[in-house]
Amino acid sequence: MLFETAPKNQERDMDLSATADAGETADALIVACPQGKVVSWSRAAEKLFGYPASEACGQVMSELLGSADAAPDLQAEAADVVYEAARRHRDGSLLQVNVRRQLRRDAAGIVTQVEYSERDVTQLKVARDAKLVAARFGSLLELTPDATLIVNAVGRIVLANSQAARAFGYERASLIGRPVEVLLPERFRTAHARHRSGFSQQPRPRTMGAGLELFGRRVDGQEFPVEISLAPLPTDEGQMVISAVRDISDRKRAERKFRDLLEAAPDAMVIVRDDGTIAMVNSQLERLFGHPRAQLLGEPVELLMPERYRGAHSTHRGRFFDQPRTRSMGAGLQLHGLRQDGSEFPIEISLSPLETEEGLFVSGAIRDATERRLLEQTLQEASRLKSQFLASMSHELRTPLNGIIGFSEFLIDGKAGELNARQKEFLGDVLASGRHLLGLINDVLDLSKIEAGRMDVTPERFDLAAAVEEVCSIASRTVSAKTITLAHALSGPTQVMLDRHKFMQILYNLLSNALKFTDDGGRIDVQVEVSAELMMVRVQDTGIGIRAEDLPRLFREFQQLDTGTARRHQGTGLGLALTRRLVELQDGTIEVASAPGEGSTFTVQLPLPGRATGAGLP
Amino acid sequence: MKLIVLAIDDNPVNLKLVAELLRQAGHVVLCAEDACAALQLLETHLPDVVLTDISMPGMDGLQLTQHLKADARLRHLPVIALTASAMKGDEARILKAGCDGYISKPFDTRLFPAQVEDVVARAATVPSA
Repeated sequence: MLFETAPKNQERDMDLSATADAGETADALIVACPQGKVVSWSRAAEKLFGYPASEACGQVMSELLGSADAAPDLQAEAADVVYEAARRHRDGSLLQVNVRRQLRRDAAGIVTQVEYSERDVTQLKVARDAKLVAARFGSLLELTPDATLIVNAVGRIVLANSQAARAFGYERASLIGRPVEVLLPERFRTAHARHRSGFSQQPRPRTMGAGLELFGRRVDGQEFPVEISLAPLPTDEGQMVISAVRDISDRKRAERKFRDLLEAAPDAMVIVRDDGTIAMVNSQLERLFGHPRAQLLGEPVELLMPERYRGAHSTHRGRFFDQPRTRSMGAGLQLHGLRQDGSEFPIEISLSPLETEEGLFVSGAIRDATERRLLEQTLQEASRLKSQFLASMSHELRTPLNGIIGFSEFLIDGKAGELNARQKEFLGDVLASGRHLLGLINDVLDLSKIEAGRMDVTPERFDLAAAVEEVCSIASRTVSAKTITLAHALSGPTQVMLDRHKFMQILYNLLSNALKFTDDGGRIDVQVEVSAELMMVRVQDTGIGIRAEDLPRLFREFQQLDTGTARRHQGTGLGLALTRRLVELQDGTIEVASAPGEGSTFTVQLPLPGRATGAGLP
Repeated sequence: MKLIVLAIDDNPVNLKLVAELLRQAGHVVLCAEDACAALQLLETHLPDVVLTDISMPGMDGLQLTQHLKADARLRHLPVIALTASAMKGDEARILKAGCDGYISKPFDTRLFPAQVEDVVARAATVPSA
């Protein structure tokens, strides 16, 4: 149709353009047939409305320019009518024009043409509207924190508060009269102009672009995310729109940061609303459960769990929202997740409340526990094997020692006949070595038992003085060759509640350690003090002492210190390590103070729970 | 008090040690290297006390004890377990199987005969069911 009409109109168009060339501000001249179709379109009209004549001619003028002018009364209308009207530019923007309409009649008085002479008065209207709204709303809008604009019926800004000017980077006055689209990124402008006319047809207060990401554009071209509320503002000058624009960069940044944080988490994460629907997930969760994000958002979180848990879960969920606090879910229970393919897998979940502007959410961190469960099973099995190994090693090592120690004693006691002194001495060495080996085996076993958590503490009430006496006497027998003074002193109550066997083991280890490193003529003092809540035992020797740099290694397994002398001391370095373990097993402490050549002092403190709570017991 | 002791141990050195110590103390010792041999001996002999190793190939000491305690003719016999194991729960396991006492290996040779005599004396004062 355009193709047909264009050549026909070309001539007339050229005629008109000649007259239109008269000046820059020439009025747009449009000639239409009585049915409203454009037959002539001046150069000034092309400029004003954006359509070339070739495109405009043949079109119904009211449709082309979106005008709602009252149709001319072809019978009665005076030759000349003047009015103002809105026009739509080819780019969708609106103009306000002053129209002078004239009817051309033939000799018989029949209307043959309607001539329009139109002048752009958009800025005049802006000035008028601006004056109107400034008077009514100017100071009021300064009070709102949001950037606020009033846009007139032809889409021009007629009022902008200083917040708006600041937000978009304009001088406040320079915003007036601009199409509101200058505040939008270019890619949105055309669509916006169309939406705007839609809004003016059905005006009601609302948020713009619900669910869409909206952006504002600053004068320097920089874009920023916005949230916009609109409300119609009917005036004598036509339907205006008042619009509040909020810069949500901070919120978006925070949201992005939160999203990044979710993505950076090692665990699968799900954010759930108080109605149990999923608000957010990270890609770890998508991978873990095999559901694409789109399938999860807005769905009940129960989607991620096997059918059998779902009913109880929604009850628990309600309870969590009533008393939200960070915790792990289903402590002590075996929880399972459900993948999209219907398979289940063991999971661990920890829950945290998440307070946001949009209300209380709960975030769940979900970890695939498959590997952990397997590892636990493997560890349990390994621990069982270790125990079995220890039990059998213990048996296998002790059985031959029974023969070695037993027959040595048997012979030394002369039960198989009298021995000479050398035979007796050497058999004594066999016996001592056997007993030493037995002690080591026992130490290794004890250490292993403590490590495996299989060593129990069984406190009993016993007489401390008797126990100390017994240990001192056993220890002194082992060093009968040396002439060392071994003294002990006790202060405080002698009845205590402790694991008697372990107390004796600790004291024995400390004493044999002291005896080992103390030379002939030396002295060892054992001092025991009992207070209301504490038993303290101190073993002080005049032995070779320990260098400061060696102290940290002292209580570690197999760490016998180099004494710096030519002699080697018997032992594996297990004694003090075991002693430390035995002390710690009873929540006690062990300390050492020492200087080379000046001896060492070991101090053990054990809490006495029995005294604190059992004072009134018989 | 001269006792007839049935000693069972799969380790011949330990068996010999037990026998020597008890003979030195004036007791009569019957030796068996496993539970089967012990049961055979018991068909023809009736000792005053049974001294058995726990860990043995074939029937172990605990099974042997249960066997003895289930036998009307033998259930009154005190049974002493000789054990080299040191793990938690061993003692409870031994007593639960019906043993009347136990002695840990390695034992103190100077105390050993008296320990055996003690168990027998104690068992005699408790009438068996």
